[in-house]
Amino acid sequence: MKTLKLLPVDLSLLGLMLLCTTFAPLPKPKVHTIEISQMQFKPAALVVSAGDTLVFVNKDMVSHNATEQSGTSWKSPTLASGDSWRMAITKSAAYYCTFHPTMKGEVKVE
Amino acid sequence: MGILLYFALLAAPATAQESPKLSDAEVASVAVIANQIDIDQARLAQERSENEAVLQFAQTMINDHEAVIKQATDLVQKLGVTPQENAVGKQLQANAAKTAKMLQTKSGAAFDKAYVDNEVAYHQAVISAVKDLLIPESENEELRGLLESIVPALQAHLEHAQMLQNQLNEK
Repeated sequence: MKTLKLLPVDLSLLGLMLLCTTFAPLPKPKVHTIEISQMQFKPAALVVSAGDTLVFVNKDMVSHNATEQSGTSWKSPTLASGDSWRMAITKSAAYYCTFHPTMKGEVKVE
Repeated sequence: MGILLYFALLAAPATAQESPKLSDAEVASVAVIANQIDIDQARLAQERSENEAVLQFAQTMINDHEAVIKQATDLVQKLGVTPQENAVGKQLQANAAKTAKMLQTKSGAAFDKAYVDNEVAYHQAVISAVKDLLIPESENEELRGLLESIVPALQAHLEHAQMLQNQLNEK
């Protein structure tokens, strides 16, 4: 019966492969900017990865907010003209502006 | 419809075929008055309504129209224009006074319905007036730009008022 013999160099390569597999760096979270202008969230629909950051920037002359649809999960403070607000997103959500309820957006976490 | 008609008739020159003429100073004055009217009516709603959705809408009208007036005031100061009183603005104020008088006779659900119905009609009329009269009449590019930037907010207010109108009619 033959036995498998590994040379030291083979072992080193094997170890390196295992190390790369085990400790492969996770994809770096991305930052997605959602511009609020002309009474719209732009883009109104966005696909992101869990842990990414959303930045809402109000470029309108009137105040807005971004509120998760159920009102229980997350809500930005009031964003006056020029204000911005950021949050890490972990779950898909539909959201709207409570001041202007016809303004709606959606983020899908994949 | 009504307000656009006032705008058109009052600003109309001798022949109906010509475009009505308003100076930039008059356009600025009318824009401020039209916003102030909606703020005053929202304050009346805050005094008389107990409906949470109506009160929230009224607060949004105050906040948004105050922001528009501030932008308009800042712009006319920058341009060195003094808003000029005119017949269109006076007629708008006279009509607003009549509306306020009518609203003051109502309370409870009847007030809410009358206020929201008026907000729908008012925003429809103001959108038409801004798009079809004030923007074309503005000679200054920045004034025209400001008026154009107001239209999406007016449209959002109209849709919000229509949403409330449907909710109140379902009750």
